[in-house]
Amino acid sequence: MLTKNKSIFKKHILSCKDVAHLASEYIDKNTSRKLNWKIRLHLLACGCCRRLIRHLKITQLIVPQLIKKNEPEIDAELILRQIKNRKNNSQE
Amino acid sequence: MANANHTDFSDEQKLIAALRAGDDRAFCEIIKRFQHTMLIIARAIAGDTFADDVVQDAWVAIYKNIAAFEQRSSLKTWIMTIVGNEAKARLRRESRKISLDELDGEQPGSYLDNANFAADGHRFAPIPSWRSESPEELLEAQQLQRCINKTLNILPPAQKAAFMLRDIEQQSFEDICEILQVSSANIRVLVHRARLTLLQVIDRFQETGAC
Repeated sequence: MLTKNKSIFKKHILSCKDVAHLASEYIDKNTSRKLNWKIRLHLLACGCCRRLIRHLKITQLIVPQLIKKNEPEIDAELILRQIKNRKNNSQE
Repeated sequence: MANANHTDFSDEQKLIAALRAGDDRAFCEIIKRFQHTMLIIARAIAGDTFADDVVQDAWVAIYKNIAAFEQRSSLKTWIMTIVGNEAKARLRRESRKISLDELDGEQPGSYLDNANFAADGHRFAPIPSWRSESPEELLEAQQLQRCINKTLNILPPAQKAAFMLRDIEQQSFEDICEILQVSSANIRVLVHRARLTLLQVIDRFQETGAC
């Protein structure tokens, strides 16, 4: 799964494909200084990849909020009763 | 049951103290906070069939052991590790082996698909432009909310678990590795794939107004 990413580090000039694989690492600031510089150099010349990075940042910002708005109501008291029953049954 | 009607459970220390004291309200609070994510972890490790059972076993273990919780990690990490361990134990008992690849699945047509790139790695197809790049405007779009949640539910279990733990629960990569028993590098790949899939949902929404 990671063979591809390992080979990226040896390259001098990154391709769009490399940047697509590294995009999350880049926006999470998990890339080394050298790799970060290579990505930035590619982004300077490539509007397509700049758009990908911009859209990925927006996705990362809004998706957690959209998911939280939709989380179902949990009947915690019912679950707690089930936990207590299960605990009591396992002790008998 | 301890009387804690006015306890502020947003303070983790007060929440832990109430849990140790056997306060049912505090326990209901952690059920509300973590049940959803626990189910996602259980599904990612043990599969759909055993997930509900695994989470119940985990809650019983938490209920029994909360008094002995030593706070070497945060309460959330402790709980997520327990459900991860319960799921792995169940998997061993059922003698089933599920590989990461099986859980992750293939995703033709994604941003990482080789078909999008020339042999030298240059991109063939342009990245679609969006009508709106305003986060505020996108957050108001109810149809987009439905599309995102629908897609989240059909993500491969390992991807969904890694994504939820990282981007929703804000867990560190180290903790996620411990919970899911997957290497840090592979967790990063899973999170990245999930983000790209969700990005494509926004692409489609921008283009068609639908999922």
